[in-house]
Amino acid sequence: MVLEVPVSDQRTIDAVPVDDQAAWDALVTRFTGLLWSAVRAYDLSPADAADAVQGTWLRLLESLHTIRDLDRIGPWLFTTAKREASLLSRRHRGERLVADPGEHANAEHARLAPAGAGHAHADPALTVLSADEGRRLWQAVDEMHEPCRSLFRLMATAPDAGVHQLAGRLGMPSGSYGPTRGRCLNRLRTMLTAREATP
Amino acid sequence: MTRHPTAIDDESLIAALRLASGSDPVPARVTDAARAAFGLRLPDATTARPVATPVPRGVRSAEEPRLLRFTAAELTVELEITSLDGLVDLAGQVTPCPEAGTLVEIRTLHLTESRALSPTGQFAVTGLPPGWFSVVCHRPGDSPVVTSWTRIRP
Repeated sequence: MVLEVPVSDQRTIDAVPVDDQAAWDALVTRFTGLLWSAVRAYDLSPADAADAVQGTWLRLLESLHTIRDLDRIGPWLFTTAKREASLLSRRHRGERLVADPGEHANAEHARLAPAGAGHAHADPALTVLSADEGRRLWQAVDEMHEPCRSLFRLMATAPDAGVHQLAGRLGMPSGSYGPTRGRCLNRLRTMLTAREATP
Repeated sequence: MTRHPTAIDDESLIAALRLASGSDPVPARVTDAARAAFGLRLPDATTARPVATPVPRGVRSAEEPRLLRFTAAELTVELEITSLDGLVDLAGQVTPCPEAGTLVEIRTLHLTESRALSPTGQFAVTGLPPGWFSVVCHRPGDSPVVTSWTRIRP
């Protein structure tokens, strides 16, 4: 697999993994699901989510020459996608013609650059997004009380439903949805932490 | 092995739930577009990064042109963006004015428009679809300069 190429020599790294279409496609195959889930968590429409994911790949494209540490591509993509999605969801509130000049691009560069400093510190979110952790998450959700259990199931299976619709299906006022969701997420985090303490 | 679930923000946790539920698959066009993006690579180009421009906070609107400025080591590209009927007009200025024969390409994900630079370093394109775009300066006998990808939304 492309990402397992040893990170030893500058020239080797520059030549790998993304100097041809096949190598790029391998990255796309590996990470697009992750990026899609990351941006959809921001309640973006499918069109806006597609826009944010595409922006993430464009950022990678213009940063390819700075890549030294292949292990960082996943966390970097994930962080960049979240930022694109966050920008996009904020832009929806009131502004019409807007350009996002990508002011974060330079900051992101720092994360791809090597500096030879120890190993990459993976985003904890990436750990959660692995298949095993995903199963763990849903096991935890299944043990939760209502309305959290239904809320999470609805949120995951009806990603395009708006707050009004979700609240309606949960039988709660729209104004309660946000706070309830926050409480449920906190509870889920607590459960995951507790499990970690006693594996 | 160290994990820090408490450090996970809401969005990442929701993303994990959605990914693990498998109920929100990636649309094929998203994957296709990501693959196609590789064709937009310019390996020998210098990237001009965005720099802050003096825009008064809170007064952006559809009617007011928006100024963007991108700089590389030796070149600045300024873009004035306006929109009309959901389409985007760009008026650009390259400084210092490159030598004669410099060609500018305005790229979107779906189309590329070429313009010869005026003697004063200016160019213009009208009627672009909103979305991602970048501008490439092809200078004779020198490596191209490309502005960082920027999103214009209607």
